[in-house]
Amino acid sequence: MTQAIAISGLVKTYGEVNALDGFDLQVPEGSVFGFLGPNGAGKTTTLRILSGLAHPTSGSAEVFGHDVVTSTLAVRAEVGFLPDVPGYYEWMTAPEFLRFAGGLFGLSGPVLNGRVDALLDLAGLTGVKTRIGGYSRGMKQRLGVAQALINAPRLLMLDEPTSALDPIGRKEVLDMIASLRGRTTVFFSTHILADVERVCDRVAILDKGRVVTSEAMADLKSRYGGQRFVIDTAGDASHLVDRLGGEEWVAEATMLADGRLSVAVSDVDTAQRALPAAIVQAGLGLKRFEAGEISLEEVFVDLVGGER
Amino acid sequence: MRGLGVFLGKELREIARTWRIWVLPGIVLFFAISGPPLAEVTPQLLSSVMESQGTGAVIELPDPTYVDAYLQWTKNLSQIVIFALIIMFAGAISAEKRGGTAILALTKPLTRPAFVLGKLLSHTILLTVTTLVGAAVTWGLTLAVFGEAPLAPLAGATGVWLVSALFFVALMMLLSSAVDSQAGAAGLGFVVYLLLSIATIWEPAVTYSPAALVNAPTEIAMSETVALGWPIGTTIALTVLLALAAVAVFRKREL
Repeated sequence: MTQAIAISGLVKTYGEVNALDGFDLQVPEGSVFGFLGPNGAGKTTTLRILSGLAHPTSGSAEVFGHDVVTSTLAVRAEVGFLPDVPGYYEWMTAPEFLRFAGGLFGLSGPVLNGRVDALLDLAGLTGVKTRIGGYSRGMKQRLGVAQALINAPRLLMLDEPTSALDPIGRKEVLDMIASLRGRTTVFFSTHILADVERVCDRVAILDKGRVVTSEAMADLKSRYGGQRFVIDTAGDASHLVDRLGGEEWVAEATMLADGRLSVAVSDVDTAQRALPAAIVQAGLGLKRFEAGEISLEEVFVDLVGGER
Repeated sequence: MRGLGVFLGKELREIARTWRIWVLPGIVLFFAISGPPLAEVTPQLLSSVMESQGTGAVIELPDPTYVDAYLQWTKNLSQIVIFALIIMFAGAISAEKRGGTAILALTKPLTRPAFVLGKLLSHTILLTVTTLVGAAVTWGLTLAVFGEAPLAPLAGATGVWLVSALFFVALMMLLSSAVDSQAGAAGLGFVVYLLLSIATIWEPAVTYSPAALVNAPTEIAMSETVALGWPIGTTIALTVLLALAAVAVFRKREL
């Protein structure tokens, strides 16, 4: 499989601080890749290095085989980039900005006009005559994704594209990203777990400048236990925690703050039979028995530490 | 130098469509329009002021000539216009860095030398066109007010001033690429202006360095003969070096 991004031993230090601590990462071509991590984990620094805005202290990073330091123009020709806080020439209108961006890629004439029209449509900005300075955050972010697509890039890199948006703005930008699946590789950083769950097929989790895990979303979830049961009982079920914790098919049993029992299991079939039986044996009434997948949020907290 | 043409086009449109079109051209045109009439009425104004003091002193001032209009023009260029230029151009590069616009442009196939050169060329064009229009207005109004306006002293003085102004444009590009604060870059620009002004009292500096160009426009406007071969040569050479240094500094900077 062709790698859109190949990072090896990437280190970036600012004085005494290791922003990136020598991590490796591969992003397969065609994937929608979530680059997840808490604030300060090193996501933006990684994207700045990949886009040629910053230089690595050591290690290497390649985009479609081009070194990001020595072949920066070749990298930029293949990439569309949206920074976390995009800055625009606010005196321009959206079509003017897209034409300027396309011009920098050497586009002109009917090709440029066609792309500008298509991207304005994708961003929902067709017919908007006002200057960019008068746009809402959501409009600016949608224009940001559009300008990053002007060169029909093989790789689209987005830095926290939804973090400053309201729920409607978030949905609009995520819909735009989801619509790109199969057309281009998308590598986007975020600390919003729900966004990754919604649009990504692969994910890497970065913490303190190191990649904690990098794999397909489905593999990650199944590796971290698959399912969780939340049980509401008539009566105190806390004494069941120790007892269930000793069972082979139980990964973790805990009491939630609202008094419900939470049981993460590795064998769902056994759990479906044994859990109600255990409740009855304990002399408790069963009010509610709810099964669900372990969320990325739980995996994330487990991997980067619950103290955050 | 990929992307230079597109970026220069953006810069020129930005000048035409934002506040930039009003500031420097506004100042220069104001001085061009007000200079010749002011030169004509200045002696009368001074006499009126002295008479109103009631000292009984009578001051005989020579009748104003086109030279007074030209001196107004060159003094304004050498002081107020240079100050405006320093303040205005101090944020040329740092403002784009601060505002994030440089990031969107420089993550496309626009090289950093093209970015700096685009800024330098657009500011040079703005300054040159503005100065030429201002000089033409000064010449026309001087002719209208005084009945004579020889072209050579005005053209010479303005041309020499333009050489020194372009030195400051290149200097401000370097400072703006090296210093994130617009105020800090402007402060350093004023320090250089001050040092050049002080250096005019040192003979070797006046003979060979850009310091000679501080007072030269005034002397040329008065039709004095000034030897400027060396100062103009060193100023042009330093301007090129400053531009190259601006490119080199900006290439190394992380955004």
